[in-house]
Amino acid sequence: MKKTLDALCMIGKYYLYGVALQLLFLNLIYAAPINAQGSLDMKEVYLSINLKKASFPEVFSEIKSKTDFSFIYDKKVFEKSRGVSIKADDQSLESILVDLATAHGLRFKQVDDKLSVRLAKAKEPSPAIIVDVTVSGTVVDNKGQPIPGVTVSVPGTSIGTATDLDGKYSISVPEGTTLVFSFIGFESQKKAVGDRSIINITLAEDMSSLDEVVVIGFGTQKRVNVTGAISTVDMDQLENAPVTNSSQLLQGVQGVYVNQAGGQPGRDGATIRIRGQGTLNNNDALVLVNGIEFPLSEVNPNDIESISVLKDAASAAIYGSRAANGVILVTTKSGNKDKFQVRYNVYAGLQEVNYLPDVIKDPVHFMELRNQAMINGGRLIVDYPQSMIDEYREGMNVDPYTYPNNDWFDIMFSASPIQEHNLQFSGGSENLTYSLSLGYLDQKGVMMGSGSNRYSLAFNSTAQVSKRLKIGTNINAIYRNIDEPVAGVQNLMGSILKAQAFHPTYLEDGRYANTFVRSTGHNIFRHPIVLATEGENQTTQQRYLINLFAEYELPFDITYKVNVGINKSDDLNTTFVPDIFIYQNKTGAATRVPFNGDAMSVSQQNRGTRKTYGGNINTTIFNTLNWSHDFNKTHHINSLLGISSESFSNNSFWGQNEGYLGNDLYELNAGSSNPAVTSTSAKSRLNSYFGRIGYNFKEKYLFEANFRYDGSSRFAKDERWGLFPSFSAGWRLDRENFLANVPWISDLKLRASWGKLGNERIGLFRYLNLINLGQDYAFGTNISAGAAVTSYNDPNITWETTTISNVGIDAGFFENRVGLEIDVFKKRTTDILRAVNLPSQVGNLNGPIRNIGTVDNTGFELGLNYRNNINDFKYQINGSVTRIFNEVIDLRGQTIYNGRNIITEGYPIDSYNLIHAIGIFQNQEEIDNSPFQTADTKPGYLKYQDTNEDGFITEDDRIISGGVIPEYTYQFSLNLGYKGLELNAFFQGVANIDTYASLIAAQPFWFGTAVTKEWTTDAWTPENRDARLPILTTFESSVNENFRPSDFWLEDASYLRMKNLQIGYNIPVIFSSKYGISNLKIYLNGQNLLTFSRMKDFDPEKNISGMNFYEYPTVKMYTAGLNVTF
Amino acid sequence: MKKNSIIYKVILSCIIWTIVACNEDVLEINPTDQYSIETFWVTEEHANAGLTGCYQVLRSMFGSLYETDMVTPNAWGYNENGGLGPLARGVQLTTDPALAGRWNVSYSGIGRTNTFLDNINGINMDENLKISMIGEAKFLRALYYFQLVNYFGDVPLILETPDAGLHSDLPRDPKALVVTQILKDLEEASNVLPVTYGDKDTGRATKGAALSLKARLLLYDEDWSAAAATAKEVIDLNAYSLFPNYRELFMLENENNEEVVFNVEFLAPRFTNNYDQSIYILNTPAPLKDLVDSYLMTDGLSTQESPLFDPSMPYENRDPRLHQSIACIGYPFNGKTTELSDVVNTGFGMKKFTSFSDDISNIVPPNTELNPIVIRYAEILLAYAEAQNEAVGPDPSVYEALNTLRSRPSVNMPEIQNGLSKEEMRELIRLERRIELAFEGLYYSDIRRWQTAEVVNNGPIYNYEGNVITNRTFNKDRDYLWPVPFVQIQENPELTQNPGYN
Repeated sequence: MKKTLDALCMIGKYYLYGVALQLLFLNLIYAAPINAQGSLDMKEVYLSINLKKASFPEVFSEIKSKTDFSFIYDKKVFEKSRGVSIKADDQSLESILVDLATAHGLRFKQVDDKLSVRLAKAKEPSPAIIVDVTVSGTVVDNKGQPIPGVTVSVPGTSIGTATDLDGKYSISVPEGTTLVFSFIGFESQKKAVGDRSIINITLAEDMSSLDEVVVIGFGTQKRVNVTGAISTVDMDQLENAPVTNSSQLLQGVQGVYVNQAGGQPGRDGATIRIRGQGTLNNNDALVLVNGIEFPLSEVNPNDIESISVLKDAASAAIYGSRAANGVILVTTKSGNKDKFQVRYNVYAGLQEVNYLPDVIKDPVHFMELRNQAMINGGRLIVDYPQSMIDEYREGMNVDPYTYPNNDWFDIMFSASPIQEHNLQFSGGSENLTYSLSLGYLDQKGVMMGSGSNRYSLAFNSTAQVSKRLKIGTNINAIYRNIDEPVAGVQNLMGSILKAQAFHPTYLEDGRYANTFVRSTGHNIFRHPIVLATEGENQTTQQRYLINLFAEYELPFDITYKVNVGINKSDDLNTTFVPDIFIYQNKTGAATRVPFNGDAMSVSQQNRGTRKTYGGNINTTIFNTLNWSHDFNKTHHINSLLGISSESFSNNSFWGQNEGYLGNDLYELNAGSSNPAVTSTSAKSRLNSYFGRIGYNFKEKYLFEANFRYDGSSRFAKDERWGLFPSFSAGWRLDRENFLANVPWISDLKLRASWGKLGNERIGLFRYLNLINLGQDYAFGTNISAGAAVTSYNDPNITWETTTISNVGIDAGFFENRVGLEIDVFKKRTTDILRAVNLPSQVGNLNGPIRNIGTVDNTGFELGLNYRNNINDFKYQINGSVTRIFNEVIDLRGQTIYNGRNIITEGYPIDSYNLIHAIGIFQNQEEIDNSPFQTADTKPGYLKYQDTNEDGFITEDDRIISGGVIPEYTYQFSLNLGYKGLELNAFFQGVANIDTYASLIAAQPFWFGTAVTKEWTTDAWTPENRDARLPILTTFESSVNENFRPSDFWLEDASYLRMKNLQIGYNIPVIFSSKYGISNLKIYLNGQNLLTFSRMKDFDPEKNISGMNFYEYPTVKMYTAGLNVTF
Repeated sequence: MKKNSIIYKVILSCIIWTIVACNEDVLEINPTDQYSIETFWVTEEHANAGLTGCYQVLRSMFGSLYETDMVTPNAWGYNENGGLGPLARGVQLTTDPALAGRWNVSYSGIGRTNTFLDNINGINMDENLKISMIGEAKFLRALYYFQLVNYFGDVPLILETPDAGLHSDLPRDPKALVVTQILKDLEEASNVLPVTYGDKDTGRATKGAALSLKARLLLYDEDWSAAAATAKEVIDLNAYSLFPNYRELFMLENENNEEVVFNVEFLAPRFTNNYDQSIYILNTPAPLKDLVDSYLMTDGLSTQESPLFDPSMPYENRDPRLHQSIACIGYPFNGKTTELSDVVNTGFGMKKFTSFSDDISNIVPPNTELNPIVIRYAEILLAYAEAQNEAVGPDPSVYEALNTLRSRPSVNMPEIQNGLSKEEMRELIRLERRIELAFEGLYYSDIRRWQTAEVVNNGPIYNYEGNVITNRTFNKDRDYLWPVPFVQIQENPELTQNPGYN
C-alpha cells in the first residue's frame, strides 16, 4: 500500500487524472504478462517427419521430440482427430505447420518455444501461423520517474497490457508489429518491435492533451465534452517566464488580445480583450479567482494552477450580466494527497529599455535645427542666436558644467535588476490537502525613480470532514509597494524627452543645475533627476481574497455547495512635494522645480504631503445544488442550480497638509498649514439566480443549456433585472462507427452555441440625475460649499446585451500529433451603452449614458498545432490566428465623435476620422491653385484633400481611415526538447491597427523639445522634394497646418514580437536525488528580445488610443533561474 | 460529529443569509456623496450651495484673464494656450480648443444660473435674501452671456434648466435678442443687489457690478448715451474710487480694494491660478514693442513728439504705468535687474497680475491666489469718457474723468489740454484705455469694436530690438468673430457657422 501511494504521489496531476480514467478502460485490454525469453525461429528449425493417419496429439509430440518446440492445445478438440498424414523431408518447421494448417484448418500461434493450436474459424484469413514475441521494458517520464498504468497495445488488435507500479511491462505480440505506449497526459509513442525483446520508453508529457479537464463556470468538465468556446492558458508554456503580472499570462491564448503597454514595475498589467471590443464602455473581461471576482493582476502568477477563458455565450452565460466581454476563470494551486513537497523557484536578471526614440542629441545641432524649423515656420528671429551657438560650441570643450553635452536617456535609463522567489509547500493526507506558498518579487525600474516589490501569500486547503462533507478555503494576499516619481511616471517621461543635451545635471559643487540656454516653449527645466529622486510618491497596495467553501453530498447524487468570498483591497498613496531648487549654471540664480504632473493639480504643487486612501470590500456568497447522474452509462445528466448575492463597496479618503519645515519629514502631522480633506464612498449590489443542465448520450451527442437572472443596483428599478440564457450542442464524430476505422482521426468534434450575455459596467447612479457637491467658491476668506448638476443622466438605461453565436471544430489527427481548433463567431452587442455628447448649450453637461445602438464583432479563430519526436528529439509548434471584424451596425442614425475618432454605422468603433493628406506643396503656385488651407500655408507643407470640394480645407473634409482595434492577432510558439534540454520561443503579433503620433518627440520641437533624426533626413526641402515628411517646422508654428489632425500622422502599429525565449535544462535525477531533490531545472529566459514593426521610434505595443507616445517604456528582460522540488 | 454540527449550522446560516440578501430591496441603493435632484433645492443651504456653484464657473472662465491681449498688438504668446497663437496669426481653426473652451464654460455658467433661477422660488427661506440671490444669479447669467456674444455674436439664448430634449437642437438667436436679455438681467440685478456686502460675502455681485457690466455692454453696443448714463450711475454710487498706487492696485495684499468692482475670488490652497508661473516663468503673455512704444512720456507727449525721449534710454521718463505694468531689460523686477533671459520671448515681461514686487526677490511659488479683477473703477471712468465723447462730444465731464485717472498719485501724468476735437479726444481715450487696462483682457474687444484690428493686427510684430518676430494676418471678413466651435455644430447641426469659416 505504501508503495502504491508513493507511486501515485510521484506522478502529479496528469497521472492522477490518467489513472482514474485508465482504470475505467483497463478491462478492455487483454493483458498477458509472460516471462521474456529469446524466441526461437520456426524458419530455422528443420526436421523430417513421416506420419500417416495419426492424431494431432501424436503429430505434436512427434514434432516436440525432434525440436525445442512444445504445443499447447485443447485436448477435447484434438484427441478425437484421426487421419493426419504428414510427410516432410528436412523441411522447416514453419512450412510443415503451414501445410498442416492449410489441410486441416488449424491456426498456430508461437509464443517463444510454445505453439498454441486451435481450429480456424470460418472465413478466418491467413496467416495460419502467428509468431508472437515477448517484449518487456520500463516506461518512464522525462524525469526518469516510472509511470504506472501506461497502456501498451498493438493498434487494431485487442492485445495490450499496462505497466505496473514500477513502470514495468511485458507483453507478447505478433512479430513485426508496432507497440503503442499511451497514457493520459503524455504524448503517445509508437515503437516498431522489430526483433527486440526489451523496449524501454520515455514518455513526454503532453501539454494539450485532449482528455484534460477544464474549469468551467461553477465546475469542471472534460475538455472533449466541452461544447462552448473555452481556451485554457498553457501554464507549462509560461513556466519560468519572468511574468511580473498575471494579466501577462493570457498572451498566446487563442482569441485573446493582450496588449502590454509599458513595463513600469508594479503597474504593468496588460490590457486584455477577448474577441475584440464589444462595447463602447469598459471592455475588460470578468475575472474570477476561485469563483470570486478579483483582479487578475493581483494574483501571484506562480500561485495559479489553471486559467480558463470563456469566450462564447454558452460558456459565459452562467455569469450573466458581467460576462459580455468574456470571463476568465483562475484556479489557484492546491495540494496533493499524501506527498509533502517543497518547491522553490527563483530567478534573477536584468531589464533594459526596449524602445526610445532616436532623437537629435548634439546640443549645437539641436539648436541649429530648431532655428531652422522656426524660420521654416515663418519666424524671423530665432531662439538661439548664432552668438549663443558659437559660444556653446566653444564652451563644450572647456567647461562641461556650463556647456554640458548630456545624453539624458543614458542618465535616466539603466539596466535594472529584477528578482523573484517563490516557495511552495504542499501536501496532504487522505482527508486533507493543503498548499502554502510565499512569494517575493523585487523589481527596480529601468527609469530612475521607479520600482516595486511584492510580497504574496497563498493558502489553499481542503478537508474531507466526513464522508459527505468537505470544507475548504483559498486565501490569496498581496502586499505591493510601488515607488514612483512625485509628479508621476508620465510627467517624468515627458521631462526626459524634453531635456536636451544642454540641460545640465549638477553644478561643480554638486547642487542641481539649471541651464542658461533659455528656450521658448520649454522655459522651465523640469530637472529629470530631481523629479525622479526627490520627494516621495509611494503607493502600498494590499489585496486579500478570502474564500471559504463547504460541499455536502446529499442523497440521490445531489451536491450542495456554499461559497463565501471576501475581496478586500486597501491602497494608500503618500505624495510629498519637496522644495527643490536648481541653480543656473552661469548666474547661480535659483529656480524652484515644479512638480506638477499627472496626479497633481496646480494647487498641489506647494511643498506638502497628500495622502490618498482607497479601499474596496466586495463580498460574494453563492449556493449551488449540483445533480449529476449516469443512466446505464449511456445518458449522462449534469445539472446545477444556484443563487448568489454580491455587494461592492468602496471608500476613498484624501488629506493634505502644507507648511513643512524641510524636505525630510513626510507625515501629515509634520505640516502646519492649509490642511484639507475629502472623502467619497459608494455601494452597489448584484443578485443572481443561475442554472445549467447538461446532457450527453454516450459522450457522443452533447447538449447544454445555461441561464442567469441578474438584478443590478446600477439601473433603475424597472430596468434592473435581466435574463441571460445560452444553449450549446456538440457532436463527437470520432465516436461514430463510421469514423472508428479511420486510423488518422483521433478526435473530431463539432460544436455550436448560442446565448445572450450582459454588460452592466457603467458608473454608479447613471440613471439618477444628481447634484454634485464640491463646486465650491471662496467669498473673501470664506469657502462656501457649492453644488451643481454636472452631468445629464437617463433613467431608462438598461443592460447592454451581447448575443454570441459560435460554431467550432476541435480535431486531432494522427494520434493527436496534429491538433486543429476552428471557431467562427458572431458577437452582436445591442442596446450598447455609451456616454452621449450633448451640445454645450445644454448647460455644458456631460452627456448621459444611453443605450444607443448595435455593434457586431464577427470573426474566426484558427489554431493549429503539431508535435512529434524523432527519437529523443521532441518538437512542437503551436500557432493561432484570430481575425475580428468590428462594425457599428446601428446608432439610430447618429454619429458619435470623439476627438480624432468616430463611431458611425458601417465602420469599426473609434475609427480615425481625419483630414486626408494627399502630398506636399511644392511651390506657392500650387498653393494658390489649391483649396484654401490657412493663410500661413507654405511650400513644403502638407496638402490636404478637399473632400467636399467647397474650396476650403475644413473639418468637413474628414474621411474615415484606419482603426484602433487590431483586425488580426496571431501568435505562435515553438518548443524543442532533447533529453533534459528544452527550448521554448513564443511570438505574438497584431496586424491592421493604427495609432496617431502626437506630442513630445512624435511632433518636432513640441513646445521647444525633442526632434527625431528622421526630420534631418526625410523632411521636405527645396532640394529634397520627394521627401516623406513635410518641411521641418516647430510644432507651434504649423499647429494648424502640418500638425492639424490628419491621416498623415497615423502610424501602422502592426508588429510581430518575440515575447519569450527560454532555454532550460532538467538536471538528471541521478545527480540530484542524493540531496533529496526530485526535480531540478535551470534555465535562461529572455523577454521581448525581438520586435518587427514599421514603428521605429516608439514601441508599437502601446496604449493604441492614448494621446501621447511617452508612456513608461517597455523592457527587454534577461533572467536566469532555477526550479527545485524536494 | 459535534464539530460537524457546528459546520452544518454555519452552512445553514449561509443559506439563510443568501436568501435574505437576495431580496429586491437591497438593490435600492442611494448615493452617499451626492444629492439627487429630487432631494435637493429644499433648504436655504441648498439655495446657497446652488448659487455658489454658479460663481464657481468664474474660476475657469477667468483662469487667464489676460489671454486675449496676446491677440492684440499688446502682447505675444508663445502658443501655451491652445489656440490663441493661431488666432493671433489669423490661422485659427474651428477646432481650436481655446476658442471652444470659452463657449463651453459660458454655457456651464448659464446652465447653472438657469437651474438656480428655476428652483430658488420653491425654497422656503428669507425672502429678502432670496431676492438678492436672484439678483446675483442674474448678474452672473448676464456676465456669461456677455462673454458669448462678445466673441461669437449670435448664440442660442436659453433661460431654462438645461434639458437635453428641449435645448439640444436650438439654433443661434440674433445677438440683439441676447443683448436685450442681458440688459434685462442686469437691470433686474442692479435693482435688487446691495451696493456693498459684509466681509463674509466679499466677491459677490453688487449693484455696482451689475451697472458696470451694463455700461460695458452698452459701450460695446455703441449705445453711447445709455452707456454714459449707466457709467455715470456707477460713478454716482460713490462706492468706488481709484486706488492710489497703480502698481499695488493689483497686488495680493490689496485685493478687493476700493477700486475693484468685480473680481474672481481665489483662495489658496484650494483655489489658485498659475498667473505667476505663466507670466514670469513662461514669459506669457510677452508684451510687444508696439505697446511699450505707445506709453507716453511724462510730459504727456508721445515718444515721437517729446524732447524727453532718448533712444539710447527708451524706457526713461515714460508714463509711470510702463514700469508699473511691464518689466523692461535693465530695470528691476522681482528683486533683480531684468535680463534678456528673464523676458526671452520679446524682451519685455508682464508685471501686472503677478504677486512679485520690484525690490524683493521671490523664488516663484508654483501658484497664487491673486484675484483677477474683471471690472474696476478705472474702466468705468474710461467707459464714461468714451461714451460721453461719442454721445455729446468732449464736454468737461469727459476731461474730468480722464484727468481723474491721470492724476492717480502713482501715475501723475499731466492733465489733458483743453480744446481737443471729438476725434482727437477719441484717439486720446483709446490710447488711455489701452495703457490703463493693458493685459486686463479688454483690448482685444476694443480693437474689434473700433474695427481697428484689421489694421493693427495685420502685419509684423516686433521684439524690444525692433526685430520682426513674425507676421500676423487679420481677415476683416472673418476674424471679428470667433468661429462657432466645430464640435458644437457637429453635435447640433442647427447651429450655423460665422462667416468666413466655411
